[in-house]
Amino acid sequence: MILNQIFDAINLGIVVLDRDLLVQKWNRWMEIHSGIDADKMIGKSIFEIYPDLESSKFKRSCKSVFSFGNFCFFSQKLHSYLFQFKTSSYLGSDFEYMQQSCAMGPLRNEDGEISSLYIYVQDVTENAAYQEKLKDLNIKDGLTGIYNRRFLEARLKEEFFRYKRYSGKFSMVMIDIDNFKEVNDNHGHQCGDFILKMVSARISSAIRNIDYLIRYGGDEFCCLLPETGLEGAYTVAERFRALIEFQDNNYDDEIINITISLGVSTICDSVDTPEMFIQKADEALYKAKKEGRNKAVAMD
Amino acid sequence: MESSVLEDNILTQDEREILQEIMNIAFGKSAADLADVIDAHVELSIPFIKSMQIPDLPEYIRSHVKDYKLINIVEQKFWGKFRGDAILVFSSGAGKALIKMLQSEESKSFDSEPIDILESETLMEVGNILIGACVGKLAELLKDIVSYTPPMVLVEKEYSEAIAHGYYDHDKKAIVLKTDFSFDTGNVSGFLFLVTTNESIMWLKESLNTFMDQYE
Repeated sequence: MILNQIFDAINLGIVVLDRDLLVQKWNRWMEIHSGIDADKMIGKSIFEIYPDLESSKFKRSCKSVFSFGNFCFFSQKLHSYLFQFKTSSYLGSDFEYMQQSCAMGPLRNEDGEISSLYIYVQDVTENAAYQEKLKDLNIKDGLTGIYNRRFLEARLKEEFFRYKRYSGKFSMVMIDIDNFKEVNDNHGHQCGDFILKMVSARISSAIRNIDYLIRYGGDEFCCLLPETGLEGAYTVAERFRALIEFQDNNYDDEIINITISLGVSTICDSVDTPEMFIQKADEALYKAKKEGRNKAVAMD
Repeated sequence: MESSVLEDNILTQDEREILQEIMNIAFGKSAADLADVIDAHVELSIPFIKSMQIPDLPEYIRSHVKDYKLINIVEQKFWGKFRGDAILVFSSGAGKALIKMLQSEESKSFDSEPIDILESETLMEVGNILIGACVGKLAELLKDIVSYTPPMVLVEKEYSEAIAHGYYDHDKKAIVLKTDFSFDTGNVSGFLFLVTTNESIMWLKESLNTFMDQYE
């Protein structure tokens, strides 16, 4: 009697399945989050209601519970969830479904034989959301929301050697806002921040899903273009340049026009390391600045 | 010969022999069940029993795995009347080999997962199954039922990084049951150490004697 009340009061989902994986118990928590009453569940095959559960890992786990009384664990990291329950969003997280940490184990009858198994379901959406946030903080720039330099260094190394190994095309555009210091001096740092956000938002909207836009330093950005050769990358750079040049930036009812300079480099035989790859793009950028700014220069 | 005195203190010759016998039976049954659950045949060697002081344990484990460049460890506590720690050591590269073995048919759904998460989760799953099979059968023969904590995993570490020397309780003795295992598919092998600590040694001795009485 008391145990039954705890069974329904506990902030944890509990399901009991028999050896044929038919539902024997479905506690209140499961009712609340699934929207299905226990009497509708009991006696039904769990796969009938949740067909996605019928994976080899799940079946393997059930088998190991019944054959040697094992305990099995389904971590949120790998599985996200066992039971697909809608979630109200926590901390503005993007999870559509409740993130769950689940485990399964044996239940024995009076003779000590394993007659059924239990599954418990714990809602870990909030923790998972925190983890996602931390991950984001680690690789994203706080001001502009695009990737940061730490991310560039890790990702560039991986991609660089992959493209080298398979002799694929891979290019980079280094971007610098022209006379950015004047924006800060004449209009204040808040306006400078506004310009940084505008530039990153516009360029972000002009890249493909597979490209990466990174805030490299103060007013310098870097764009990685996988599967793109020098010519293609130059066309992209030129498009970025025009996009920024012909856009009015309205800050406090004042129109501020800016331009950018761009340097383009690509992977080729003479580029042996990720550092050389960046250096080449830097040299091209320097050349663009020297040749009067608001210009893209490609270096092969 | 301090160690032999110590060993005599913990288990008698008879008890040691019967434990050896029980483990042979248990691990034979485990191997059969494992084949059914993970579709691979696991070879478990004849178990070896050794008593020691807990602080000697890291060195003992190291002496077995010293040929491994890097190691993977899955550790789990088991808790019943029979209780202690199960430490499963895989050779390096085991995680990736096991991923291939277990998840070929559903690899699609894991495409977006970084390989390191997949690797540690796979080691955890296989470790959990292997430990559960061995400990569970052993406990069953000794008429006990055990529970387990979720497995902890260390992936591709140097031995010195993986085993914390300060962690062990210096006054405690342990009976260490060691077996080596290998999977017939994939290049996976390693050692399983079951470390039963003080609290369950008395119970273990009693159970062994009860087990012996059945045959006398």
